[in-house]
Amino acid sequence: MKMEADLKVGIKEKANKMLGYHPQDAKLSKSYIAVAFIALLVGGFLGLLQGLNRAGLLELPTWFNYYQVLTAHGLLLILVLTAFFTIGYFYATLSHNLGGLLPKVRKLAWVGFFVKLVGFVLAVIPILMNEASVMYTFYPPMAAHPVFYIGLALIVVGVWLCCIGAFIQVANWRKNHKGQHVPILSYFATGVFVLLFFALMFVAVEVLFMILPWVFGWVDGINVMVARTLFWAFGHTLVNIWYLTAVSAWYVVVPKVIGGKRWSDLLTRVVIIALVIMNITGGFHHQIIDPAINEIVKFMHVFMSLAIGFPSLMTAFALFAVFERTARRKGGKGLIGWWKKMPWGDVRFLAPFIAMVAFIPAGAGGIAQTTNQLDQVVHNTMWIVGHFHLTLGMSVVMTFFGISYWLVPFISNRVLTPQINKLGVIQTWIWTVGMICMSGSMHYVGLLGSPRRTSYSTYGDHATALGWDPYLTLLAVGGTLLIIGVILQVYAVFNMMFFAPKGETEFPIAEEEENATKTPYWTERWGLWIVLMIIVVAMAYVIPLTDMIVNAPPGSPPFKTW
Amino acid sequence: MNQSFYGLLLLIFLVAPPVAHFMESHMVIHMHMQMPMLVIAGMLMARFFQKRFPTFFEKWNSNGIPGILLFVIIVVYWMLPRTMDEALTTNSVEVFKFISLPFLAGVSLRDSWKKLSSLGKNIIIIGFTVLFIGLGWLYIWSPVQLCNNYLIIEQVTLGWGFLLTAIGMIVYLGYNFFIDPSAYE
Repeated sequence: MKMEADLKVGIKEKANKMLGYHPQDAKLSKSYIAVAFIALLVGGFLGLLQGLNRAGLLELPTWFNYYQVLTAHGLLLILVLTAFFTIGYFYATLSHNLGGLLPKVRKLAWVGFFVKLVGFVLAVIPILMNEASVMYTFYPPMAAHPVFYIGLALIVVGVWLCCIGAFIQVANWRKNHKGQHVPILSYFATGVFVLLFFALMFVAVEVLFMILPWVFGWVDGINVMVARTLFWAFGHTLVNIWYLTAVSAWYVVVPKVIGGKRWSDLLTRVVIIALVIMNITGGFHHQIIDPAINEIVKFMHVFMSLAIGFPSLMTAFALFAVFERTARRKGGKGLIGWWKKMPWGDVRFLAPFIAMVAFIPAGAGGIAQTTNQLDQVVHNTMWIVGHFHLTLGMSVVMTFFGISYWLVPFISNRVLTPQINKLGVIQTWIWTVGMICMSGSMHYVGLLGSPRRTSYSTYGDHATALGWDPYLTLLAVGGTLLIIGVILQVYAVFNMMFFAPKGETEFPIAEEEENATKTPYWTERWGLWIVLMIIVVAMAYVIPLTDMIVNAPPGSPPFKTW
Repeated sequence: MNQSFYGLLLLIFLVAPPVAHFMESHMVIHMHMQMPMLVIAGMLMARFFQKRFPTFFEKWNSNGIPGILLFVIIVVYWMLPRTMDEALTTNSVEVFKFISLPFLAGVSLRDSWKKLSSLGKNIIIIGFTVLFIGLGWLYIWSPVQLCNNYLIIEQVTLGWGFLLTAIGMIVYLGYNFFIDPSAYE
């Protein structure tokens, strides 16, 4: 009897090893993913409150006002959901790809987990007390309670620990596998953690050396322009970190799910390198309206921003090449007929596919906003809100949802049942319709002049403002559909995590094509790419930052605008 | 041949009046983008000269030291505030800039770098690091305008450019010193 039990355990261990499943690492990823989806649930409801308020359907009470809700919604969804999902997903990847996490790496990630949670709780308390309704950005001269910033600084530290853990893991693997390429999904992870590591430096300087001394009252004023510039060097990079995380699944997982091969390993790695090198400087296009940057610098940054668009075009090309080749191999015919051969009933394909398609208008909108004159029209309007709900809420988050349908079963040692798959497909369509309604109406009402960052107002029943109402109602309709999507998604995740039938799920990683050319080794020289990244950052930032510091006006005292 | 051709194209692009005018309108772009790009153009074109005159390079630059000395002299010359001013006001000096940086500095750097020992390479990089820190200090904290053609704010910007470049080189030296690529590759 005992022997049989031992044998069973032995077989299980063997199966786990074959699948690249490591129970302790899975627990880590499970914790991260669980926090991410709880954040989605709470943040989603807060989003609904905002949507209903903007439509004029719901008056929020004074003890929990629109700006508090907005701050919490932003913090939960753009910091907690994305950071925890990205780290959970990539740590699962590192564990699977690189033969299990090293004990010290796992420990670092756990410490990072709790440091982030403590930081998050510290940040939430002042928000609930209405002491930090600064709308989740670190935009002086609006100043929140010091504890809010201390909490954020702890989140930064927590993420840094995870970055360092990932670097140790990858370096250790490379030492033991000399001359080999880091597996592609771990290569994505390396790129993401490099970007996170450097992007967080900017915001750490802003929070530790500028904002904290200022909100504690140790200094009288703050250099607003420098703070905003540092914030966006981080903020823009963070946006692209989510995007790069989503792209990793498009390149590596989706081809496997549809039964195809990866199209070009070299192209994939070049896209990652290009995004890492050119990303941080994109921050300037968020500041086109800022007065203290001269036009020449702004025009220069149009180049830098459009350069980031180029790898995305390469991505679009590569992915549609994969789709067409796979579908034709399965007997798809005609110019468009091959579309029918794609697995439309599989949520692991459908959700990332719609996410990808959404990136076409989302990217185009981004290019419009990067252009100085076009941005002048939309910068402070709901258009921008629509843009980042299309990019983050659709391209990124729907990919995350698609990932969850195999990642959560994988780390929970369970399977994706046909019922949950069906639920996922329904969820995907509800989310798609909801987001098109919401983001579409936000874009349009923005063009009509409706401002962002404000709660509902008819501006004394002004005719223009009343003209926004139909679109704002559609926005609320979209928001309501989205909350249904959130509930379904969170239900699916926790069902797969705790209640789905036990069984082995594969970690889907597509192979390279048979006749693929060998990837050159220079793609592994991260030292070189980081040096290039620093050079590009120096080229972009030295001129404007020196100007902002040397020609600075007197610093601003803290303001509480609410 | 291909890269030499691209080098020539780059040189022509840099010499084109609108490009040259734009790059020279900012002190930091003048010194930290135009001049290095001229050197890079020369490095690309070096291949042509190495193939065309192999014995010349063998005879005069067998261990790389004469070449690197020429490179250092030319580059240091162009870091003097006075020479930048002169390039903007006197046409012949401007022409000398467009010839000296690619053909004297760029070509000799390409031919010499591989011939140098790692000690020689480190000496060059450390030397330039120290020089850049010194120049950064000079340009940032100089109380007076050093160039007739550029305002003090431009000068301070250039100083920070120098300091950041020096920091970049220190990072590179540290990386080289502490990390052995053969452990990974």
